[in-house]
Amino acid sequence: MISTKNLYFSYTGFSPYVIDGINLEIKKGEYVSVVGDNGSGKSTLVKLMLGFLKPSAGVIISSAKRVGYVPQNNDFSNSAFPITVYELLNSYRRLLKIKDKTIISENLQKVGMLSFKDFLMGNLSGGQRQKIMLARALMGNADLLVLDEPSTGIDVHSQKEIYEFLKKINQEQGITIVSVEHNLQAAISNSTLIYHLEDGKGHLCTPEKYVNEYLRKN
Amino acid sequence: MFSYGFMQNAVFVSVFISILCPCIGIFLVLRRYSMIGDTLSHASLAGITMGLLLGQNPILGAFVFTSVCGALIEFLRTYFKKYADLILSIVLSLSVGVAITIISSGKLHANADSFMFGSILTVTKWDMLMVFILSILSVLTIVFLYDKLLYIAYDEDAAKIAGVRVKLINYVFSILVASAVSVSIRIVGVLVLSSMIALPVATALQLGQGFKKTLIFSVVFSVIDIMSGLFISYYLNVAPGGFTALVSVFVLIIVILLKKVYSVFKTDN
Repeated sequence: MISTKNLYFSYTGFSPYVIDGINLEIKKGEYVSVVGDNGSGKSTLVKLMLGFLKPSAGVIISSAKRVGYVPQNNDFSNSAFPITVYELLNSYRRLLKIKDKTIISENLQKVGMLSFKDFLMGNLSGGQRQKIMLARALMGNADLLVLDEPSTGIDVHSQKEIYEFLKKINQEQGITIVSVEHNLQAAISNSTLIYHLEDGKGHLCTPEKYVNEYLRKN
Repeated sequence: MFSYGFMQNAVFVSVFISILCPCIGIFLVLRRYSMIGDTLSHASLAGITMGLLLGQNPILGAFVFTSVCGALIEFLRTYFKKYADLILSIVLSLSVGVAITIISSGKLHANADSFMFGSILTVTKWDMLMVFILSILSVLTIVFLYDKLLYIAYDEDAAKIAGVRVKLINYVFSILVASAVSVSIRIVGVLVLSSMIALPVATALQLGQGFKKTLIFSVVFSVIDIMSGLFISYYLNVAPGGFTALVSVFVLIIVILLKKVYSVFKTDN
């Protein structure tokens, strides 16, 4: 679905690299959690995959037809922005040139937020906002979903609902998921693979192997 | 009052200003960029002086130079990513420098003062044609780019993922701002133009509505502010720009007070 070959990135263009020669292959239908300490390059890797940053060297190859992105909850400092849930999704629908308006209600229904259609985004809780972002990201039959710390700033109950939903769409619809995680518990219990980043280098393994070989040693 | 030709011209121009300014202003305010109006109004003064110096229509001069400055602001954003206010200071310096140098050179064979405070006496037929063309083109462009502008303001990353060419749209938008500033400068003047861009939007934001309703209310408040500013300034024989700014602040205060009263009334019930 998406792979990187000899991927390097630094904000200056020179060494030391934040992403230091990464070769990663994520197959269709995988649920990969990207984990690592602060500053390990997790968010940078995701920004490179989404095309927000240009690699200093190396390539990213994606076969995704449509990418959905769920930003970090606390990125939304613009809580005073006057926009309703419906307006947010309807404008996005038009940007994606999707003619069918019913997709808005369908996607809101999927995340259990249909009754909040006319609410202002700024009046929603962190968990509710994150569900709307999920509904938006899935528009246009996204086959690759990229999330940046989906549980940040969200209550435990909403976290549970969101992870259950992600697991469901991954298993039932085969949507490939790449999720930057600081929540190790969620990463281990939900994902099919874990990509552990340390000092810009990483390795891919199963959650079981990650627990046995990495977490127990540290 | 309407029997005077100059007043008819002023009303004609004011109608377009009162629709165009909040349509541009809402995107600027929501992007925390409302002071761009102040910078570009000074750029338009420089453009006016250049237009007068070269014997061209001053509004055309304002539009061209303000567009260049708008594009320059967009270009400098690459170099000063986290210092948007610094970019505005740089372009402000350039604009004020050009304007003062030309005005003080004594080579202007016309009066640039009316553009500082705004005047209803000096609106010419040629100005009205410029205002008409620029306003229609700008409003059509906003309608066409509505979703893109909205998403760039709310969530630039999502806009990029949806395939919006953010940089290109930002350049187009800076030309729209230049257009709004140029058409408004005759009536409201350089010194209070930024308030025409920001205040009706600030008032509409108090109502806590969605985007489309906020935009509609911004236009309504803008029409109230500019039209009553124009008519009252006529009777008081003062510059319309200054009085329009006063009306805008007054309307904002009224709306805040009404909102307060409504919330107290709602809590009591």
